[in-house]
Amino acid sequence: MATHKINIYQVAYKNLLRKKTRSLLTILGIGLSAWVLVSLLGFNQGYESALNKDIDNMGFQVLVTAKGCPYEAATLMLKGGTGLRYMKESIISDILKHKEVEGITPQLMAAVFDPNRGESGGINAYLGVDPATFPAMKSYLKFKQGGWFTDPNAVEAVVGYEAAELEQREVGDKLLIPEKNVELKVVGILNRSGTADDGTIFVPLRTVQKIFEKEGLITAAGIKVNKNANMTELENKLYDLPDVQVVSMAQVKTTIMSLVSTAKVMVFSIALIAILIAMLGVINTILMSVFERFQEIGIIKSMGAMPWDVFRMIWTETVILCLLGGGLGIGFSFGLSKITDVLIRRLLPYTPTGSLVIINGSLALLTLGVVVAIGLVSGVYPAWRASRVRPLESIRSEGD
Amino acid sequence: MATKKATTMTANDGCALEARNLKKIYKRGSEEIVAVDGVSLNVEKGEFISFIGPSGSGKTTLINILGCLDNATSGSLKIGGETVFSDNCSLSESDLTKIRRRVFGYIFQKFYLVPTLTVLENVLLPFAFFQKAEASADPMEILRNLGLEKRIDHRPSELSGGEMQRVAIARALVNKPEILLADEPTGNLDTKRSGEIGEVLRSLNGRDGLTILLVTHNPNLARIAHRTIELRDGRIFG
Repeated sequence: MATHKINIYQVAYKNLLRKKTRSLLTILGIGLSAWVLVSLLGFNQGYESALNKDIDNMGFQVLVTAKGCPYEAATLMLKGGTGLRYMKESIISDILKHKEVEGITPQLMAAVFDPNRGESGGINAYLGVDPATFPAMKSYLKFKQGGWFTDPNAVEAVVGYEAAELEQREVGDKLLIPEKNVELKVVGILNRSGTADDGTIFVPLRTVQKIFEKEGLITAAGIKVNKNANMTELENKLYDLPDVQVVSMAQVKTTIMSLVSTAKVMVFSIALIAILIAMLGVINTILMSVFERFQEIGIIKSMGAMPWDVFRMIWTETVILCLLGGGLGIGFSFGLSKITDVLIRRLLPYTPTGSLVIINGSLALLTLGVVVAIGLVSGVYPAWRASRVRPLESIRSEGD
Repeated sequence: MATKKATTMTANDGCALEARNLKKIYKRGSEEIVAVDGVSLNVEKGEFISFIGPSGSGKTTLINILGCLDNATSGSLKIGGETVFSDNCSLSESDLTKIRRRVFGYIFQKFYLVPTLTVLENVLLPFAFFQKAEASADPMEILRNLGLEKRIDHRPSELSGGEMQRVAIARALVNKPEILLADEPTGNLDTKRSGEIGEVLRSLNGRDGLTILLVTHNPNLARIAHRTIELRDGRIFG
């Protein structure tokens, strides 16, 4: 009795070694597709959680502004610094009465025309914040240099990372408010946070009110909502206040997610095309190798291989290619997730801070499953062709 | 029906093969080509027959039919006393495979060794698909008998033509066939290597009693058989 053995899977594996370069290129093609796929699935998971984290980082989930007032600096710039509307500061205590409100911080936005900004001048915006409540609510803001204001009435400024770069200011420098001829002393420069705060110049609320003669007035109030509170209910209550608009970050999130979903469709289309190309590559590779081995397959059949044996052998070759390619792609995606992150950031209109692409074991397994399934489908035709080879065809070419 | 015949077939003493009035007709457009034209033939167990004849005489077509690699257009074939096919009955590829794996071993002009497998793995290859439980030969013993015991870890590209053909013979023998079909086994070899292969075939027949059907153009090789059948225009000549 024979003690030596060989099985179909070993034969299939060794067949792939025959044309090493071709097998490697096919594996690489599958690997790239798998990389795109796993990164996209990871992005799908990561983006929303990063966005949620970002919204939590904003410190407040609801912003109440005077009706018609732009609620962030970018809109204010677009409107040429005009269109600011004011609410009475007393609204703060009214809002605090609601049980859903955990904390509130008043803000006063102010804008002036700066003739020295750019070629034809531009708008400088200042955000007056309450030193008692604002830093606590935005605890994620970290300083590159210096710290918060020394006094609620100090003529000082804390400058966001990008604003500091633009103005080329450091702690201790002066910052002139044009038109008002007031010089603010820079006491702190923030680290990059990836949020709108990067471009903002923060000034104590009282100081802004005084400089711009808006005592007792604010443009917005940021509200931190209790974790278990009903957000919709609170929004409805806030709308009962006279002449306010309520901007919920949940709405902002919906807007961003709908923007991103367009980009997602595009990226998923790319992934689909990549997978189709990889699939055609696999079919081509296996089919070529079947054609090249036509006679050999005939001999294998003359040895007693049934059509299903040959089908299984060729199918196994496809699955091995896909398993190796899938593994490579998953390796890529873990190793190169930072690059993927950068690529996606370039592609999308808005990206939250933190990790955009979250890849974990179950995602990797899912991708491997998808790639192997693709391999099984791609392998059907070549395997079927091979299983139909008749041994006679391999001998007929020898003449007589 | 045919499947049953194939799987229940057993070898018995006496006639290894019995062919009656075999015909094989190919159609090329409106033209009919008669490749085998009414051949009747008995092959005894342990017999060594060589088939000779000019190119196109039908010898390869004939042994393909005898070896269940192809169906005849008409006629009948019995192997070991069991009917494989008779008039108007052609077997499916699966049925032919079942007969092939039990009865036949094949060697061809080209050796068809798998280049990425070692000598031993090539010889073991048939076991990946089928292994006769009751009659599997020891591949190492076969390789030793063929003088290949020192080459078992070599790849086909490292072997001479004669060695490659001996590996192909070992592969054909590993499932202990009842009949060995050899179609131009020395067609790719020089005179010396052809002589070696002739010796191997002679010893397989003489020592092991293997029934051998050999197709060749080589008169020296044909001479080692017990009986030589010459074919011309698809018929047995003389």
